Formats: sequence, C-alpha cells, structure tokens
Amino acid sequence: MLWNNIIIALRNLRKNKVFAVINISGLALGLTIYVFGGLLIEYEESHDGFFENASRIYTIGATAAPDLNVGVDKLNSVFPAVGPIVEAELQDLEAVARTIGTEFLLSTGEESFYERISFADPAFLQIFDFNYIQGDISAIEDPSGLLITESMAIKYFGKTDVLGEVFTFDNEFDFSVTAVIEDVPLNSHLTSSVIGGAGLDFVVPLAGLNRMRDWDLAGNWNNLSIGNMTYVLLPETLDSAWLQTQMDGIFERMVPEEQRGVIADFLVNPLTYANLAMWDMMGLPIASVVALLSLMVLVVACVNYANLATAQSLGRSREVGMRKTMGASRNQLLTQFLIESLVIATVAMVFAIAILEILIPLFNNFAGKSMTLDYATTLPWLLSTTAIVGVFAGLYPAWLITRTNPIEALRDIARKGKKGSLMRSIMIGTQFAISAFMLALVSIVYMQNESVKEGSYIFPRSEIYTIDRLQVEGISDRLDTLRHELEALPSVDSVAYSSQVPYEQNNSSMGVALQPGDEAGEFILMNLRMSPEFLDTYDIPLLAGRNLSPDINNDIASEESETVNVLVNELALAQLGVEKPIDALNKRFYTLNGEERNYEFIVVGVVPTQNIVGLFNKEKAWIYQYSPDSLRIGSIRITGGNILDTVTAIEDVWNRVIPEYPIQGRFLDEVFDDIYNVLRYMNMALAGFAFVALSLALIGLFGLAAFMAAQRTKEIGVRKVLGASSTQIARLLVWQFSTPVLWALLIALPAAFFGSSLYLDFFADRLESPVPILIVSGIIAVLLAWTTIAGHAIRIARSNPIRALRYE
Amino acid sequence: MLKLHNMYKVYSTDEVETVALNGVNLEIEQGDFVAIMGPSGCGKSTLLNIVGMLDNPSDGDYFFFDENIAKYNESQRSNIRKQNIGFIFQNFNLIDELSVAENIELALLYHDMPSAERKKRVASVMDRIGIAHRSNHMPGQLSGGQQQRVAVARAVVGDQPLILADEPTGNLDSVHGQEVMELLRSLNKEGTTIVMVTHSPAHADYAHRIVNLFDGHIVTENTRAA
Repeated sequence: MLWNNIIIALRNLRKNKVFAVINISGLALGLTIYVFGGLLIEYEESHDGFFENASRIYTIGATAAPDLNVGVDKLNSVFPAVGPIVEAELQDLEAVARTIGTEFLLSTGEESFYERISFADPAFLQIFDFNYIQGDISAIEDPSGLLITESMAIKYFGKTDVLGEVFTFDNEFDFSVTAVIEDVPLNSHLTSSVIGGAGLDFVVPLAGLNRMRDWDLAGNWNNLSIGNMTYVLLPETLDSAWLQTQMDGIFERMVPEEQRGVIADFLVNPLTYANLAMWDMMGLPIASVVALLSLMVLVVACVNYANLATAQSLGRSREVGMRKTMGASRNQLLTQFLIESLVIATVAMVFAIAILEILIPLFNNFAGKSMTLDYATTLPWLLSTTAIVGVFAGLYPAWLITRTNPIEALRDIARKGKKGSLMRSIMIGTQFAISAFMLALVSIVYMQNESVKEGSYIFPRSEIYTIDRLQVEGISDRLDTLRHELEALPSVDSVAYSSQVPYEQNNSSMGVALQPGDEAGEFILMNLRMSPEFLDTYDIPLLAGRNLSPDINNDIASEESETVNVLVNELALAQLGVEKPIDALNKRFYTLNGEERNYEFIVVGVVPTQNIVGLFNKEKAWIYQYSPDSLRIGSIRITGGNILDTVTAIEDVWNRVIPEYPIQGRFLDEVFDDIYNVLRYMNMALAGFAFVALSLALIGLFGLAAFMAAQRTKEIGVRKVLGASSTQIARLLVWQFSTPVLWALLIALPAAFFGSSLYLDFFADRLESPVPILIVSGIIAVLLAWTTIAGHAIRIARSNPIRALRYE
Repeated sequence: MLKLHNMYKVYSTDEVETVALNGVNLEIEQGDFVAIMGPSGCGKSTLLNIVGMLDNPSDGDYFFFDENIAKYNESQRSNIRKQNIGFIFQNFNLIDELSVAENIELALLYHDMPSAERKKRVASVMDRIGIAHRSNHMPGQLSGGQQQRVAVARAVVGDQPLILADEPTGNLDSVHGQEVMELLRSLNKEGTTIVMVTHSPAHADYAHRIVNLFDGHIVTENTRAA
C-alpha cells in the first residue's frame, strides 16, 4: 500500500510537471531559508561551546543607568576596576580575568603592521583552554611575554616554531613570544563576525599595557568600552545565581557613587551569551528576528503548497471516488494524500540541502563565519522538519479531497463546486499578509536608513580623508609639521586634529555644573577635543563669539590649565541657562569631582547643533575644547584635484614626516560605512526574506489563477455569449483574488507598523510617519498581485467563447 | 441476494425537490443478470448507486443478504461494499497514473491481502479477461474496449458476488460493446450476479430480466429464460 502510494505520488508529479516544479521549488526555497535561518541561529547561539569550561565561564556586564543615553540599555562589559575587586572579594572563584583590546604597531625587523592586541590578566589562559602548539598556559605570566596564534606566526615568520622571537610594539617596547596557539575557531565570541573588531591574534599581559601606557593594573572607573571583557570561572559547586547575588552585593558596597550614573547594576551572563549579547543589548534581538522571519517564509511556502495542491487535487476527485467505491476508508485516503505531500516535502528538502551545500560556503566566505551543515547532529531536525512540513502543507488538501462522497467524486462535482474556496481565500490572504508585512517592513527600514544617510551629509564626508593613531608619542610631537606640509598640497584645503571624527561611536562626556561643586546641579556635556582648524575643515559656522586659537593661553586645555575657554553647541545653551547664542558668551561652568581633570570653563563661542556621533544617536549638547595632547585623529579636507593622486601625495608627506609609522588613513565615508553597513546589511537580509516570501506568494497566485481560470472556462464562455466584454471578464477574474489580498493588507500593514517600531525605536531621529510608506508598500503588493493574475485573466477573457464552452 | 422494499430517494435543494425513486420494490436472486432500462432522468443511476451502497435511500428498506442496510453509515456500507460488490462505469474510471495491473490491484489494496496474493490474483484475472499482454500499459495507451476490459477485471478481481455496471458499453463502438457483453455473460455463467444499466435494447437482451424504470417507478419487468 505504501509503495503504491509513493508510486502514485511520483507519477502525479511527472504528469503535472508545471505544478510539480512550482510546488517543489517553492517548498524547497522555503525550506532552504528556514533551515539556513535555523543553522545560523544555532551557529550564533552555540558560540564558545567548544571551550572545556564553557558552562562554568561567565561574563560580568551591567545595566546602563537610565540617563546614560548611549543607545544601549545593557552592556556585556564593565569598568576595568571591577575585575580586581571581584577577585579580592570572592575567594571561591577559580579565576577572574579582564581583557582590554587596543591597537599597536608591531614590528619584527622588516615587517611591521598595525595589530589589535588583547591585553589580559594571566588567568585568562586558565579560563580558556586554547590548543598550544608551543608554550603553555603560563605564557603571559611573564610581563614581557606574548602569546600569538598560528596564523600570526606564519604571517610574520613563515613558521610556527617561533618561541623567543621578539615583537617591538610602537617601535619601542619589546615582547617575546612565549606561546603559539592554534587559531581560535570562528564560532567564538573572541573571533566572532557579529562583534565588531573581534579577533584574538596576540595576547599580552596587562602588565605590558602598564609598561607601555602606564595603564593602572588595578583598573579604572573611567573607561567602559564594549569588547573589554571581565570573565569569571566558577567552580563546579557554584552557579550563576550565586554569582549574581555576590555581584549585587559588590555593586552596593564597592561601586563609587558617581559611577552609578553610568551603570545601574552588574549582570552575570553565561559565556555562550557573549556572542549575541551586543545585539540583544542594542534592542535588536537578531536571533529571534531571524527565527521569526525564516519561519514566516516557511509558512508562506507551506500555504503556497497547500493552496496549489488543493486546487490540483480537485482534478483527482475521480480517483478518490474510485478508491472509495472500492472500499478505501477516508483514513486510508488521507494517508495516501499525506504520503504524497511527504514525498514532495522530502524531494524539496533534498533540493534545499543541495542548495545549502552551495550557499553555506559562499556565505561563510562572505560573512567570516564557519557554519556547517553537520548531518550527524542536524538529521533528526531535518527529518522532523520535513515531516511537519509535509503534514502541515498536505493536511488541508487531503482533508478536502477525501471529504466528498464517492458519487460526487466520480461525477467530478467537487471540481465544479465552490468547495474550499473560503479556505483558499484564507490561504491566499495568509500568504499576502506575511509578504506585505515583510515588504512594508523592508520599506520602512530602507527609508529610515536613507534618512540616516541623508542626515550624515551635514558633514562633507566624501571630501575628508582621516588619519588615525596620532596620539602615539612618536607621532603626536610632529603634528604641526605634518599639518603644514599637508596644507602645502594644492588640493588640500585644511587639516584639523581631534579626539574623534563624526560617526565614530565614542561617547566621551563629563559631568559639569554652573557652580563649583554643585553636585545637585550636575549636567552632562559631550566632549570633543580638537584643533581650531576643525571648524573650517567641517564647515561649522560660528553663531556667536570666536573660534579657539593657539595664540591665546586659556584656549589651550592641558593638565596644568585651571581655566579653559571652550565652544559650545546650541543645544548646550539651555543647560547653561541662556536662550540666545550671544548670551552664552563668557558663561562659566565647572567640572565636578570624579572627572580626570578639574577645570573652570568659559564659553567664548557658540556653534550650531550638529549630530557628531550621528547614525542612531540623539543630538546632544557638546563642548569643543582645544586640547593638543588628546588629539587622536586627523581630518584632511580635499577639494578639487584627482582624489587618488591627492591621497598618494598625503601618504608621501606622511612617510617623509613620520617615517617610523605607517599611515592609517581612510575616507570619512568609510568611517560612516563602518556602522551604516550594519544597518544596510540588516536591510538587505530583510529584503531577501521579503523577496522570497513575496515571490512565493506570487508564484502561488499565478498557479492558482491559472487553475481557477480553467475552472471557470464554461462560465466565462456563457458570459461572453451573453455579451460580456473582455474587460468585464478580466475584471471579474482579477477581483476574485483581490478580496483576500485586500484583507491581507488590513492585517499586514498595522502589523508592519508595530513591527517597524522595534527598529525605529533604535534611532533618535525617526521617520516622521511610516504611514505613507505602509500605504505605498500595500499598493505595490496589490499591483504585483494584479499583474500576476492579469496575464491569465486577459488571455482567457479574449478567447473565443465557443472554445470556452467546448471545454466541458 | 438483495431486496429493495418501498424505496424512495428524494434530492432536495433550496427551491426544488426531485423524487428520483418513488416506492421501488425490487428483488434480485443470486446468479441473476438484470438489465435496468428507461429514459434519461428516470432514476436508473440512482437505483444503481443505492444498490451499490454508494448512497443511502431517503426511505424504505434495503436487505442485502437479509441484513437491512438502509440506515448504515458510509464506513459500514464501505465494508460490505468492498467484500461484495464490483463496479463497472461507462467512462471506465481507471486511474491514469497507474498501469493496467496496478489499476486492477487497486481493488484488492483495501482488503488486507498480502502483496504476493494480490499479484497472483491480478495475474489470474488478467489471463481470464484476456489483457495479460497489456499489464504494464497505462490506461491512456489502450483502446476504449481494452480499458473497459480492465475495468471489468478490476470489478471481479476481488471475487465479489455482485457486479454493478452503469452503461458499461455506452462509450464503446458496437464491436467492443459486444465483446464486453460477452465477458459479462461469461462471468454470469460462472455465478456472478450482474445488475446493469443500459440504453441499448440489444445489450439488454443479454440479461435474464429487464426492469423498465419511468419517473422513479418500475413500470414493467420482463423475465426471459436463461
């Protein structure tokens, strides 16, 4: 019986090739997306599981204080001061280690490259069991020791046997290799492609950072950077709840009062959460979104199958009638039809797996991941997915076709009746609801991204070439020479230095008050350190007062300064208690205790409010101060001339003035794209989902329209004989499908409105109203549906009525 | 073998009631060959459907081997039907996706019979009906007469004692029609009871009894010597 059913299924596929191709390809596409989504989530969520202690390793994070205003609610990192406190307070822990990531110029004789270095407490190697090719876990107990990965050893020395080889950091400090480890697999948060700037190539003891930058080994309460981690290894006997309780206690006892305006508590997270933590904390639960979208695509594919199979199965009512006549029970027939849909689901799954075998390596290559389709572990999931899809997609058509009594079935009455037409409409509606929902979502996300991009043009970003890492000692003392030489280039307009350039996600701020020591009157100002040329370079006009000048003593902020002249932006005026820019001049305010330096600030100029951090951040109140010892990055304004030649000329100047260090240059456009691309890729992924869902829905509608048009051939013939015009007939056929599509929009568009707020909430400057975009997306969905149906409708409406009548 | 007593069948729609059978009484003995005749719409097919347990009467009794099955539900009827009744249709109703042998085997699939036994029976009935050489062909590759032979084979492969034939020759030319009638006659001689609806007086002559139906009544019954 089973074999007979499978044979019938296969022969049916062969007989109805068009249906078979549409059915199988649609289902295969849906399964591909769904399985891919599942594998991706599994991959991202199973990061770090390969570490032997994975289940006992926790990271210490924090909840951002409510008015911190940095775009995230939670952090998976804490101040570097926390690690040593935890270690001192909690004797039962097996190990505590911090990591600080920062960039250095590394040289080995001939070769020198900028590299991201992970500085770590020695216990870091106790917590993570790397695979040692040379050396062991004591590698970074030596303050000038250095652990490197296999691929770095090969990059610099062409071999892995490199113990004792010396790297010079920033042309000054020597570290010698004490261990070589195998490269950390890509499915670790240490190397993850979803964490910006991740990578573990060089591990140096924090003592080395202390030696080079005077970094306080006890840590500090000033710097809270994403990516600087604090790890805890718990003994088998203790669990995360215990650790959380202890951390709550430590927060109460040990966190200085002024830091409680930055973090509200400590959070203990399992290591396996570290990979996706950043996304979750930004309020973009990427794994859930991928899961939901891929499930939606699969549902569309299943509904598509069910709809086409229903239409097609009505053509098989004679077979059902015959089988019933010969004594087949309804359950036996249900089984038969379900086996057919299981066969189709299986064929579709085989295709999906074939597609994935091609897609996954391409995706890995593109996205820097190491996803695999491991049959040993995924087989049960793949099989159960196939079974569920087969049953889910096949149940309704099977139920419908086996419902008729044998006489009706033999007379083919089912085919002519309206049976299942409500359900078919519901199915079309479901498909279109999901597709239109995604389409609307994509459009809103796209428009929001565009508006972010539009907003970014307040700075001349394609005309500015940035040069980074200027604060290094060997470079910072030659900045004036560098500027003079660069400004001498014909197509260089001006050169400015600053602590950050627009779009960089740094939130350097300070607490100030209008009266010295007035803690109650504290307000926060963002702090940009710059050279006076910054205003010219970025076309920032003065609304009142004057620019800062290197010739006026109090304009220059240094460690010895007590009174510093500054510029403020318009948004700061309210906090200074004035309305007009002119009134702000000579206003004074003061840093509060807890800041690194204490100053009295005097406002000498006011500039317009510009969103320096840009992207999803709010406009904030800023002060601009001229602080020559905090300038990190240069902005070179290029106007006219050949851009490439100018960049080459800039590089030549650099190499002449600062031959010891390679230039770290790129256009401001690229700085913007660093972050913007994340948004863009998100939108592309979303668009991919929407495209597949919409295509499936349209393919299904196309097939169904063909079928329904054939069903109504006789009716159409009669109508034509009675005088209906081709237009009237075409309209009739098009309207048949329009009702469910329009109903679908009523559900989809409001859903998209709410769904998009998840994304829009992330931005300080949101689209004014997504409603027009929703309406346009809805119209597009309807037009696509109409176009799909119209082809059939017009062909049938134009055909000779006699032919239509003979069809019966 | 079966007895219909005062049988009514009424089809109702929202506006119209159509009486298809109007108090029909009919008894058929085992080994009978009965032809049912009458103009279109007189209730022939309805009668055959009820006799074949594809449909229930609106009123009246239906005794099949002394069991009144008039009120049985579909699954009870289905059980009796598959053990006892084979069907032959005017339009053959072969399944296009199955070969000749597989179409015939279909009648045994719902009988809980091991595969080997089914194959044996199918082979034997194909020999008997003279279509063994076509066993692997698909219905579309056969002539109408050959298709109806397959349908006859399918109707008898389960050794059902009763065959119901609804205009079995209606779609066939006279030569092929004749062949099918000869086939039915020989089956009848071997003991199978046959009830056949036909428009053809010549084919009705193969039967022992001719029942004439008009507007849902049996108007005349002619019995011929076997």
